[in-house]
Amino acid sequence: MITVRGLTKRYGDTLAVDELTFDVRAGRVTGFLGPNGAGKSTTMRMILGLDHPSRGRALIAGRPYADLRRPLCSVGAMLDARAVHPARSGRTHLVAQARANGIPVRRVDEVLEKVGLTKAARRPAGTYSLGMSGRLGVAGALLGDPPVLVLDEPVNGLDPDGVRWIRRLVRDQAAEGRTVFLSSHLMSEMQLTADHLVVIGRGRLLSDTSMTEFLAAASSASARAVVPDPEERATLVRRLMTADGVSVETSASGELTVEGRTAAEIGDLAHHCRVRLHQLSDVRVSLEQAYMDLTARSVEYTTGGSSTDTTAAGAAPNEGGRQ
Amino acid sequence: MTTPTTPVRRTDRSRAVPDAPDRGAPGGFAGATASEWTKLWSVRAPWLCLLAGLAITGVFTYYYASIARINEHPVQPVGNAAASSAVLVQFAVVVLATVAVTSEYSTGSVRASLLSVPQRHRVQAAKALVAAVVAFVAGTTFAVVGTAVAWVAFDGRASFGAGPTLLQVLAVGLYQALVAVLTVGVAFAARHPAGTLSILVTLLWALPSVLLGLGGPTLADVNDHLPHGAGDHFMRLGAEAPYGPATAVLIVAAWAATAHLIGLYVLRRRDA
Repeated sequence: MITVRGLTKRYGDTLAVDELTFDVRAGRVTGFLGPNGAGKSTTMRMILGLDHPSRGRALIAGRPYADLRRPLCSVGAMLDARAVHPARSGRTHLVAQARANGIPVRRVDEVLEKVGLTKAARRPAGTYSLGMSGRLGVAGALLGDPPVLVLDEPVNGLDPDGVRWIRRLVRDQAAEGRTVFLSSHLMSEMQLTADHLVVIGRGRLLSDTSMTEFLAAASSASARAVVPDPEERATLVRRLMTADGVSVETSASGELTVEGRTAAEIGDLAHHCRVRLHQLSDVRVSLEQAYMDLTARSVEYTTGGSSTDTTAAGAAPNEGGRQ
Repeated sequence: MTTPTTPVRRTDRSRAVPDAPDRGAPGGFAGATASEWTKLWSVRAPWLCLLAGLAITGVFTYYYASIARINEHPVQPVGNAAASSAVLVQFAVVVLATVAVTSEYSTGSVRASLLSVPQRHRVQAAKALVAAVVAFVAGTTFAVVGTAVAWVAFDGRASFGAGPTLLQVLAVGLYQALVAVLTVGVAFAARHPAGTLSILVTLLWALPSVLLGLGGPTLADVNDHLPHGAGDHFMRLGAEAPYGPATAVLIVAAWAATAHLIGLYVLRRRDA
């Protein structure tokens, strides 16, 4: 379990992370989402004791990272997969970390096997592809068989097989009761992997909720319908528009997108006015849409950078002062 | 966690963090040192540094002794050749220790190091210890080789005593070990090889050259309190010294300790 309380990181005038408070619980995959520069990596580095918080604290099982005696057996982390000495073999890179934590060297070979790097284990890490580096990073995170995993963009640079492999691995780890905290900018991937979401924007917590609730909150009722006959289509649109809060868009091919009505409601209405339908379905909101809706209000880098303060009343007044 | 060999594959799947302040368990400072040792020898740089150090020792001591013979200098202890060679050979140690630290920053692997050993003082102490041990062993080995080369080249213009020679060999080793600690400290403070090497070349070579080149008692006195000036006083025999060898060792040690503390201050304060 990771506990983050009032975590704040200030670089000069810029608040990179602003009073973050959330928990990452065991037994599920918690996705960490936010636009570039929202403070995800900084938050993770503070959890891992690499960066010092300006205020607040981050605890792992109730303790700061720096107090862990054999940290790799408590937390497995993968930050920048490329951060390996290029002349050092992947295996030696792991052996050095294993030695520091009293982990037997045979465990290094085990995790290398697990991530499928056995063959390349003794090659200089500089010769690895991005995907192989990613696998080495995962191997490093698994080295101490830790109950907590912190993974920053683990699927970066992986091929589709690798992405599937990470997803399964991460799900398995959570199913075994471990705490998994995972950041990714790949929404479709996150939707498949995470059970819970922590969303931040401009360093501030925007949402801390289950995936299901997050999607439900974002999806207003909406549906798509195909009405082949133009006259019937016009009838249906007219009838739909009589209600408040309903908007209809008609595409060139005659497909209707109805906001504010479910497929069931539209079906009933169509039946009632004897309109033939060729297709009718609810529009499911993807994580990407839900996320975009949420962060649209707080995206730091929109076009032109003039969006200094569309967010909120309490936003930091010093945006753009530096840099 | 009470057992010293931790069950890395735990059979019980309760996911409590298996971590308690177990100083006796593997890991800790011993683990950190083992880790630094592994990292040091897994790349080519230290080997090249040691090879370079050996070559410089051979050439320097050969010329030192040859010049003494040709110019008919007074007879001196044979170990003085190796002791004098430290002025150049120390840079083999400096580069070795610098790269051991700065390569971690340039490659980003320092994050992996700090994740496995989050107690930063321990990371630095382990690195300093490993560098010092390597520098001591290398320094004494170089001194032995240098003394042998010089003995041949002196061709009778040097005196040999087992006791004094052994002491000089150990003194060179000690000096190199202290230079290694000094370097690790500076490197942790500067983080970049260029900055680290500039500082150390200035401190250990350029500044002494300028001070001694300009001459005068005040400048010589300043030089006596710089690391190499002081080191020279406990490595070389027979020259006049303003203080005893123990004081000389303390002066160099004070430089090393100061650099270590400055490096530690930066390492603890700054984000990795």
